Amino acid sequence: MGWGAPVVYLCALALSLGLCALMLILAGKPALGGLFMLFRGAFGQGHSLLDALIKAIPIFLCSLGVALCFRMQIWNIGAEGQFALGAVGATWAALTFGTLPGVVLLPQMFLSALVLGALWGLIPAVLRLRLGVNEIISSLMLNYVGILVLEYLVFGAWKDPASFGFPMTSEFPPAALIARIWPGWLGKLHWGLIACPLAGVAYSVFLNRTRLGFELAACGEGERVARYARLPYGFLVLLVMGLGGALSGLAGSIETSATLGRLQPTLMVGYGYTAIVVAWLARLKPWPIAFTAFLLAALRVGVEAMQLELQIPAAFGQIMEGAILLCVLAGQFFLAYSVSLKRPRTGPPAQVAEARP
Amino acid sequence: MSPELILALLAATVQAGTPILYATLGEIISERAGVLNLGVEGIMALSSFAGFLGCHLTGSAWLGLAAGGLAGALLAGLHGVVCQVFLGNQVVSGLALTIFGVGLCNFLGTPYIGQATDGFHQFAVPLLADLPILGRIFFRQDALVYLSFLMPALVWFLLWRTSFGLGLRAAGEMPAAASAAGLNPQRLRFLGVLLGGLLCGLGGAYLSLAHTNLWTTGLSGGRGWVAVALVIFAFWRPGRAVAGAYLFGGVMAFQLRLQASGTNVPSSLLLMLPYVLTVLVLVLSAARAQSARRRGILGRKSAAPAALGVNIESVG
Amino acid sequence: MKQRIRTFGALALTLALGLALVLAGCEKASEKAPEKVAPSAEGGPKTGELKIGFVYTSPVGEAGYSWAHDQGRKAIEKLPDVKTSFAEAVKDGTDAERVIENMARSGYDLIFTTSFGFMDPTMKVAKDFPKVKFMHCSGFKSAENVSNYFGRIYQARYLTGMVAGLMTKSNIIGYVAAFPIPEVIRGINAFTLGVRSVNPKAQVRVVWTKTWFDPALEKDAAISLLDVNADVIAQHQDSPGPQEAAQQRGKYSIGYNSDMAVFAPKAHLTAAVWNWAPLYEAIVKEVRAGTWTGNRVIWWGMDKGIVDIAPFGPMVPKAVADKVLAQKAEFVKGNDKVFVGPIKDQGGKVKIPDGVKAEDKELLGMTWFVDGVVGSVQ
Repeated sequence: MGWGAPVVYLCALALSLGLCALMLILAGKPALGGLFMLFRGAFGQGHSLLDALIKAIPIFLCSLGVALCFRMQIWNIGAEGQFALGAVGATWAALTFGTLPGVVLLPQMFLSALVLGALWGLIPAVLRLRLGVNEIISSLMLNYVGILVLEYLVFGAWKDPASFGFPMTSEFPPAALIARIWPGWLGKLHWGLIACPLAGVAYSVFLNRTRLGFELAACGEGERVARYARLPYGFLVLLVMGLGGALSGLAGSIETSATLGRLQPTLMVGYGYTAIVVAWLARLKPWPIAFTAFLLAALRVGVEAMQLELQIPAAFGQIMEGAILLCVLAGQFFLAYSVSLKRPRTGPPAQVAEARP
Repeated sequence: MSPELILALLAATVQAGTPILYATLGEIISERAGVLNLGVEGIMALSSFAGFLGCHLTGSAWLGLAAGGLAGALLAGLHGVVCQVFLGNQVVSGLALTIFGVGLCNFLGTPYIGQATDGFHQFAVPLLADLPILGRIFFRQDALVYLSFLMPALVWFLLWRTSFGLGLRAAGEMPAAASAAGLNPQRLRFLGVLLGGLLCGLGGAYLSLAHTNLWTTGLSGGRGWVAVALVIFAFWRPGRAVAGAYLFGGVMAFQLRLQASGTNVPSSLLLMLPYVLTVLVLVLSAARAQSARRRGILGRKSAAPAALGVNIESVG
Repeated sequence: MKQRIRTFGALALTLALGLALVLAGCEKASEKAPEKVAPSAEGGPKTGELKIGFVYTSPVGEAGYSWAHDQGRKAIEKLPDVKTSFAEAVKDGTDAERVIENMARSGYDLIFTTSFGFMDPTMKVAKDFPKVKFMHCSGFKSAENVSNYFGRIYQARYLTGMVAGLMTKSNIIGYVAAFPIPEVIRGINAFTLGVRSVNPKAQVRVVWTKTWFDPALEKDAAISLLDVNADVIAQHQDSPGPQEAAQQRGKYSIGYNSDMAVFAPKAHLTAAVWNWAPLYEAIVKEVRAGTWTGNRVIWWGMDKGIVDIAPFGPMVPKAVADKVLAQKAEFVKGNDKVFVGPIKDQGGKVKIPDGVKAEDKELLGMTWFVDGVVGSVQ
């Protein structure tokens, strides 16, 4: 299909941008100027690209985590809660072992974030395996509970005595902060970025090069198929939920340490939900996930710039994001269509193709 | 707690549960037809505005309700088009719908903030309102609450006692078989999505027409997400949806009253209650169902529609 | 096809990354240059156009906290050679940092960050942009180019508490509150002290909603208070939900942020309101004159007119109004006696000794309820 994919995406993007321009006109704002501002705010300046990149890090990691679960049709939508627990874990380590040097302290923080995130992910997995409780509902409910756990600690036991009672922990010691890569040139971009290629490569290798990875893909065909094939279904469910939770937890610890430097309820801005959109738009593949996470982050950064320049309401950005997502999603159809033209399916024919006139 | 307070609590439970009940029933229809719609939150937000606007422009609460339902169906229709015609992923489409709907509600609704509407008011049902206990809880509410009493039965009847319902469920369970039987599963699914959106829209309109009579944005406040979760809690059955919606609404109302009567429990812990309890009840009922299954009493009644979330073209 | 998508994605990402690095370099270079030629705003008076930015935590809407700030913004926009703009619904934390940084970078001279959650982001950006002046609302950190400001809204709370104390019959007053942070706790305490100053038998019951804005939940919270016999509902929330609940039950309500009488004309007794214009105008004047300095804490009260109470509803008897207005006159004179001891906490322990006036630092970090409040401080 050659360059079909990018062309289709560009067309869908163009269509949605056209819609946005229309809405701008309706709102009485310059349409072309607005779109230009959006683009410049997202890509046109070095700092905005860096901002988008920084924002994409947690989205990418969470997205990889949920994608792993989606691969075997485990609907983990609990990234938000796992992210919160990861932040809690990292904070616990930072507050408890604050006197240790960074080489020891940071791994300690990541470790406790990974463990807590994984545990939070394992709860729905265990409930599903032992009792058949649907993981969508349990992981969704655990999102709320996870955020409230974070709030409970920050409003209570972990509140910084020097913060005048405001809900925040004390600032982390310098050893607990992830350093910036090259402050002179790369601004606020931090070493947490390294986690992304590492996790991405590990994800690819695991899925494409290991036996467990193949088994996991087979389990994606459904639980019954997996059990007939004598695959370790239960173990794999625990594995993906644990790993997925750990990845989201890692994202939480990186975000806490690198960008906030302390734990605050304001950490939670919904990256866990954004991650689900990203994972599906990218069809659960690591490179497209990275690309989509970056684009979505850039879109949000760009909308902020546009909002400031044109004084349009914040809700406008939401409408644009929704419209763009829907258009791109619909555009993917043409991708699938062009593929099937060239490569007929080998399986049974599409089930209800004949039902369509 | 005094008996008077308990009655007030139960009446508040019904009020808090009603919008969630409408939305849960709507999502049940949609998912029974095989289409997962994660956009309920966006639908409720937009239709709360549409409900307000309809009432504001026409002065009639019922026309407002119709506008809310229509807006819900339209937005759900967008989801239907993306998923059914363009075969877009249902999860992404639903999430995008939420972002879109909430944004649209905020954008369109902001200029009207603070406008009062003459929506639905509470009135006592003759005779029934005088029943001891029950009258106080159920029959001194507004028209939309009374309507919601009928809804579960209506949805149940539609899904299990009409041929349309049978086809709808077939489209969600085995679209191929439905197609072989001469039905048009795509059309059935689309209708299911529209109907589901309509009910979610009624839930949204309830918020702006009955729950509060003052328009502001942000009325949906996460209730759509709760509805999505409660569908699973309800095992895709209308009857259990009632239990779920009232349980959730009840615990929320309970924790507020616990605070109001003066308690020293930190509020974060109290606010966790509805979510934790939902999972706990699910765990308990799942455990019971499991032991029953072991004894061979029940079939796989708690399972999702087999083709839920799978777009028809890609089934093969 | 899989392979293609992957290679395409890889290409695109490397391209984007490369571009980011290159552009970051260019940006850095181009950013440095104008900073050097830009006239030093520090010290000398500032002539020409003044660009002023506002960062709000919620949508401006039609009433509420950000709306009140936006009224102040509109007031200074009328001044000659002043250009203002705002960013609304900015989430605290990293998003806020980016928005503030964007403003600083695009040449704003003065930036008001209006919510507590913007404190750390403001401090971080201020460090990187020493020439830009920052005003952070309601926090406790400052720097060479950051000052703090807030209003003594607790004075208005005290007055509204007096109204509630005089109007209640059940001696139970409900208070729907957002988050247990000092600003809110201070308001509840001042309100309760006001209640108790005129009605020692009354108690104030608090329900936390853990949200600034959820009209339906706030209304439910108010109803839960009405159910336990509260007959006046006060609020520290941004939506008028509680007002409506009180009106429906035929009880009284007290608003916050702005005059909420439009929402519940039959219930609305009065409201504690913000009026930021005088403070914002004064800050702009300082910047113009070159007298603005950082490291200050500006807490203005009723004497400067930045906090007030809304006009009384028709159901407030003249005797009540007179009594409250007499106290208001004291505040306007600058005679602030709200937190003067003896003040006991919920457990009866004396927190502020007899005759002692609590310092601002204590007020800033208030995490205990005064005697008369029923509820948990968490």
